[in-house]
Amino acid sequence: MRSIYVSTEEGLAHLLGAVQADEVYAAVRRERGPEYCNLRARPEAEPALREPRPSASPKAFLQPATERVAVYSATGVDAERSCPACGRRALVGLRACDLVAIEYLDKVFRGGDVADPFYEARRTSELLISVDCVAVHENCFCTAVGGRPFAESGFDLNITPLEEGYLVEVGSERGQEVIDRAGDAVCPATDEDLRRRDARREASLEQLRQQTGDWRVSDRIQEALLAKDEAKAWGEEAAKCVECAACTFICPTCHCFYLYDQVGGGEEFERVRTWDSCILGDYHRMAGPAGAKPSPRPGLRTRFANRMLHKYAFSPMQYGLLGCTGCGRCIEACYGQIDIRDVLRGFEE
Amino acid sequence: MTLNVEANPYAPQVACLSRVIAETPTIKTFCFDLDEPLAFRAGQFVQLGVPGLGEGPFTPSSSPLTPEHLEVTVLRTGEVTERLHRMQAGDACLLRGPYGKGFPVEKLEGKDVLVVGGGVGLAPLRALIYQLLSMTDRLGRVVIKNGARETAELLFRRQYDEWASHKNVSMEITIDKAEPGWTGNVGVVTTILENVPNEVDVRNCYAFTCGPEIMLKFATQKLLEKGLTAEQIYLSMNRRMSCGIGKCGRCNIGPYYLCKDGPDICYAKIKDYPNVFP
Repeated sequence: MRSIYVSTEEGLAHLLGAVQADEVYAAVRRERGPEYCNLRARPEAEPALREPRPSASPKAFLQPATERVAVYSATGVDAERSCPACGRRALVGLRACDLVAIEYLDKVFRGGDVADPFYEARRTSELLISVDCVAVHENCFCTAVGGRPFAESGFDLNITPLEEGYLVEVGSERGQEVIDRAGDAVCPATDEDLRRRDARREASLEQLRQQTGDWRVSDRIQEALLAKDEAKAWGEEAAKCVECAACTFICPTCHCFYLYDQVGGGEEFERVRTWDSCILGDYHRMAGPAGAKPSPRPGLRTRFANRMLHKYAFSPMQYGLLGCTGCGRCIEACYGQIDIRDVLRGFEE
Repeated sequence: MTLNVEANPYAPQVACLSRVIAETPTIKTFCFDLDEPLAFRAGQFVQLGVPGLGEGPFTPSSSPLTPEHLEVTVLRTGEVTERLHRMQAGDACLLRGPYGKGFPVEKLEGKDVLVVGGGVGLAPLRALIYQLLSMTDRLGRVVIKNGARETAELLFRRQYDEWASHKNVSMEITIDKAEPGWTGNVGVVTTILENVPNEVDVRNCYAFTCGPEIMLKFATQKLLEKGLTAEQIYLSMNRRMSCGIGKCGRCNIGPYYLCKDGPDICYAKIKDYPNVFP
């Protein structure tokens, strides 16, 4: 059986203080909603563990928006400066859906014939501390895509906020080390504590039931998406899209990137990786004469379709997982007020 | 040589050009004599780039049997290729790779092979042709078809006679529009595919094609019409690729990434997914 502990409010602060890391990023209370902030730099910030998930996903901590991946000159690569460098970091307040996203990103970046050494370095040095959702965002629909508002694996430590205090579950040896260092900030949970946790979790599930009902994205979605006649369909949805790509940047599983080279100063050059988005017109564009702009997906509707197909049809074939965790972040990010739940429900009618 | 792939798949190797060959008014071949041979399978691609500017995916046009001498044949058509075309022997380029699966040469024993190129599309196919010419005793007939806009744009024209001189190898070429002095076929490349059923055993052959996407579309249609199945047709599709290792996301057709699962991909695999052709 897993080790489970309880702590008070103060005890939890103590526990987070016992994490051995240079940076401890936690979702903290802010006027406009929870945001990630480094507790080591701002010890006064208050972790937002009872609020709904933050609008930002933790993706940027695993795969930054821009990152230098190589330094070279005309004589060769500077091997030392082209290596991943990563300090010890802890992420606090990840939600169950975020852990599902990390499982997905692991398949992309750690899997395949060649692993991504930059992702790998961050992944191995980062401690993951998740928290149950005791409040559910109005856009959340994790239960519709096979998720739940609390995590049972994939974390080093998982926190359940109780009416008073917290229940802390250990998921790895590294998590246990934090507990061991925390001393009397935590004590073993009783059966009564576990019953209180179960009741909290059931209450969160009930909240989700109220906003998503019994709706489940079924296996039929793959067939339905692929059968959709692209020439006619998607026009209505794509017409609302303003091509800002916010949905893909805020999405915890979207991982497309682009490598570009630039002059780094003096005789040096740099290769930089930057987030990219399949919604943008230039994304698929190939070299060609001005005006020709050859692209396999020149129209927005084909790019919109490709994004949906990748999330719900191709990802299960590639990685055995949907490319959607039901976090609903794309819904609040969208300037065109496209609600991915409505798009999906449209297929099941 | 595996170019830094083990340590950092995004870091390029700097390689100096040993020679640049002007092939046509718009196409040049960039030659590298590498200290360590770059072992590649015909059809696999490399990322060739210009320091400080960027890189693009190109399938080598040289023989996989002589990996110490690498040649990449490039059409001048964009920013990187424009700068490449201004380079000379001694200039430093960037190389990464090889990537992708390459052509399924192991399937070809005892089969007829049809090679269909259009424009600079003959470049990746030349690596395959070199390989085929080295194994003609284990193949049936090898039929090479190639088309270009005009005679000046016929790529590797100096080699056609030599290729066709091999036992069981034939070569046919076409240009899009008639020119004074041209006695060969006039018309797009599909016009020289009409006779395919008499040139190869359509039930016992594989076809490999590379060229502009619009040409791939019509060549595929024509080959299907002539009795080949989708399983027998391979398309070499170097779409926009950035990482080369199936992570950056942009070169997908359905669940396949052309960089990792191609760039030479069986038409049967992709035909039912959207955006295969323009």
